[in-house]
Amino acid sequence: MNTFGIAPLILIFPIIGVLFNGLAGRRFIEHDREIGERWSGWFASAMALMSFAIAVSLFFVLRGNEYHAETITLFDWFNIQIASWGMNFHIPWAIQVDTLSVTMMLVVTGVGSLIHIYAIGYMHGDANFSRFFTYLNLFLFFMLILITGNNYMMLFVGWEGVGLCSFLLIGFWFEQTDEKGSAVNVDAARKAFVANRVGDLAMILAMSLTFWTFGSLTFDTVFAEALAHAGDDPGAAVVYLPWMFEEESEAIEPAVAITHDEMMTDDHGEAVDDHGEAIDDHGEAMDDHGEATDDHGEAVDDHGEAMDDHGEATDDHGESKGHYTPVPVDHQHASGGLGISLGAMLTAITALFLIGATGKSAQIPLFVWLPDAMAGPTPVSALIHAATMVTSGIYLIVRSNVLFELVRESGYEMFGLISSPTLVAYVGAFTAVYAGLIAFTQFDIKKVLAYSTVSQLGFMIAAVGMGAYVAGMFHLITHAFFKALLFMGSGSVIHGMEHGHHDLHGHGHGDDDHDEDAHGDEHHAEAHGDHFDPQDMRTMGGLREQMPITFAVYMVGALALAGIFPLAGFWSKDEILAHASSNGFHPDGWQFEFIGVYALLSIAAVCTAFYMGRQLKMVFFGEPRHEAAKHAHESPPTMTYPLIVLAGLSIFGGMVLNLPYLFGEHDHAEGFYLMLEQWLHHSITSFSLTEAGIVHMPHTPLTLSYMVAGLSTILAVGAILGAFYGLYGNRPQTADEKDPLESTPIWWMAVLPLNTLYMDYLVPVFNRVADWTAFRLDWEIWHDMVHDKLIRDPFVGASKVASEIWDRKGVDGVVNGVGRVANWLSGVMRLSQTGFVRNYALSVFLGVVLLLAYFWLMAS
Amino acid sequence: MEANLEWYIGLSTILFTIGALGVLTRRNAIIIFMSVEMMLNAANLAFVAFARHHANLDGQLFVFFVMTVAAAEVAVGLALIVAIFRSKQNINVDDLNLLKG
Repeated sequence: MNTFGIAPLILIFPIIGVLFNGLAGRRFIEHDREIGERWSGWFASAMALMSFAIAVSLFFVLRGNEYHAETITLFDWFNIQIASWGMNFHIPWAIQVDTLSVTMMLVVTGVGSLIHIYAIGYMHGDANFSRFFTYLNLFLFFMLILITGNNYMMLFVGWEGVGLCSFLLIGFWFEQTDEKGSAVNVDAARKAFVANRVGDLAMILAMSLTFWTFGSLTFDTVFAEALAHAGDDPGAAVVYLPWMFEEESEAIEPAVAITHDEMMTDDHGEAVDDHGEAIDDHGEAMDDHGEATDDHGEAVDDHGEAMDDHGEATDDHGESKGHYTPVPVDHQHASGGLGISLGAMLTAITALFLIGATGKSAQIPLFVWLPDAMAGPTPVSALIHAATMVTSGIYLIVRSNVLFELVRESGYEMFGLISSPTLVAYVGAFTAVYAGLIAFTQFDIKKVLAYSTVSQLGFMIAAVGMGAYVAGMFHLITHAFFKALLFMGSGSVIHGMEHGHHDLHGHGHGDDDHDEDAHGDEHHAEAHGDHFDPQDMRTMGGLREQMPITFAVYMVGALALAGIFPLAGFWSKDEILAHASSNGFHPDGWQFEFIGVYALLSIAAVCTAFYMGRQLKMVFFGEPRHEAAKHAHESPPTMTYPLIVLAGLSIFGGMVLNLPYLFGEHDHAEGFYLMLEQWLHHSITSFSLTEAGIVHMPHTPLTLSYMVAGLSTILAVGAILGAFYGLYGNRPQTADEKDPLESTPIWWMAVLPLNTLYMDYLVPVFNRVADWTAFRLDWEIWHDMVHDKLIRDPFVGASKVASEIWDRKGVDGVVNGVGRVANWLSGVMRLSQTGFVRNYALSVFLGVVLLLAYFWLMAS
Repeated sequence: MEANLEWYIGLSTILFTIGALGVLTRRNAIIIFMSVEMMLNAANLAFVAFARHHANLDGQLFVFFVMTVAAAEVAVGLALIVAIFRSKQNINVDDLNLLKG
């Protein structure tokens, strides 16, 4: 038996956990709280750990198989013959084991297992303990479907499934309300679901287009087809519906060919003229392409001219015709399709994938749900909204790297402005800066991390948009380590603050009472009580003494996130920055195509370091600013041990996984250098199309760029120190203080007169910008204006028209009208039924008379 | 003097009209019944007259059928009238308006 056969088990273990906890977990807990919780939590964790074990075994199996991917087909999902297309709509339920999916499996199940164990401690005492673990296991199940599927359809099943689990877990405490009594958690859950639905729509469209173009949704087939026809002529407008190519041998009627002459001329004329140059010089070819489109209108108006053009084109390039076989054009027209080039088609597909990714991976413009998603329990924030689910957009792009690279190489640009992979890079870069700036103004410990996650996801999206797939995956992995660590650390802090607060007010109760209290109840009581918010950083301070372990691991996580040498974040972030600054992709020398991305990402990196410094300072340093902070105490071992493991990963993960060459130039990765690069090389094919064919290029600069690394380190250290000693260093913040950025350090101003200028002019301006972005741009304009006024109100209006006018008046009117007419008519008709026999006799008589009259008239 | 076909048809028409008017105007069920009989016999007369005129026996054959059916009708109809009288103590058809809408 093939050892790959164990792969389906990775899906089976979580579903066993779901069944166990969903069906029996509650009974166990009702029977005996203590033992029931242990069973429920540890069973779920065991299932996650078993999946992790399977992922590790698959890692070794794959290594034993010399990294050759293997697909395990479980059963067919769809298998429909479409006779009119001469093709087969076939979607198997199959698991693809390659280096990319195994990487994701290891991250998801590894970090997932740690978070399961952590949640046993965190959720202790919650009324719905087993429901929580049911959802967590269900999430793992769907996430694993997403990353193991060998086709877009399975990916989409997982994509929707994790969205569902996200919804369920954000709204986990659905009974909780705010002071005004509105169900905030439910609203947040719904918001996440709806925002994701927008991206999902784009996903469905992208999948439909993929199937329409390539006749398959299986990754390998789609990529193979795309590659097979990419070399034909990237600039030319040949219709790529490869399942039609098989019928190429069919003779084309000359008459049909003539009717399409002008089409071919319009679409091909320019491209054919430039055929020789098109590949050498993409830019020029693109200009020409634009012209060709302009010419299109003229050519249609002026039939004769178009025909002349065509004559030339054929004369000049008679020999090249066979090269890119215009035959399918005719054939395609005969089948009623559209004349769209592969570049345009792939651009549409990849742009739609980007929209899908902005939904799931919380990028501009659909990031709005992620900060609200922090309403869920903290382990959920760590698992779903930081480490795994939100990275599925990056996974999607990395998985579809062939399509993105083909678009880049085809030189096709949307609206003649920007190619879709470049757009991906800039969306990511802008998101990174934008979310990084918003993180400044947040006081909620989890909201800072939420915006930080959005920002870091921006880094990954920017990386994959630039073609640095390995760098993106690398950052995805290290980010999963340290962001899960940070979230769980913040959960530990919140837990400590809650218990501190509880101790403070709970002296009247016995000690037994304290342990029995459910989390949800505590949240509840405190939300309504004295408005103590255990997540507000202004109430914290000085926690390093009360919670030493949490402090230590949080410090590691924060420094790793800020990108301090030699922690994990340094290596992965630096790889992205190095790629953005160099972009050694094109064979014709170094180009600085992504210098804008580099600038934006550098600013984002500074922001990252600054807000993490601010957070460290506010939470762990200084004096306690609230009684609860004084009484906070360290969390139980089930919570701290996973943190310690993750801290270890955050320290060593970067160096071990993908250590770049430190000295000299190297052609390719080997040995213990760039292990992730070597490993992922087996599933990610970066390439460049030249006249010679497909040339595989190195993915990223292999050698550490000291300039980039040094600059980013200096900036990061400077930002942290600035946050520590510059803005927040002079005195502890108090809970009722308005905005710490406004309260400026007096000693600094005294020492450096220049700082007066800085503080008086720059900081307020910056403050206002950050404030403006956060409240005006983000909240008022984007949330209220665009979402409410532009999207919700017209939608509600349209719904009202549909329900009140169309449905009530139109549809109901017709139905009621029919009834009323029948009613009225019967009222009239019943008058004829008098009950007098002679009346009936008379009507018979009259009938006879009429009949006779009729016959008489007919006869005459 | 040999009677012409017109005379027979004229008599038949008059009898039929009297019968029809009787059915339409009278309220006593027995009178209506008799009027129906008169209409049937008017038709019979027309049948016989035409049969004789065309020298064809089909019409006379039909008359036998009509008479048979009329006899059956009388049997049923009179039984119905007796039954109605028993329950209502009169046979005024205007009182029998259960089918009034």
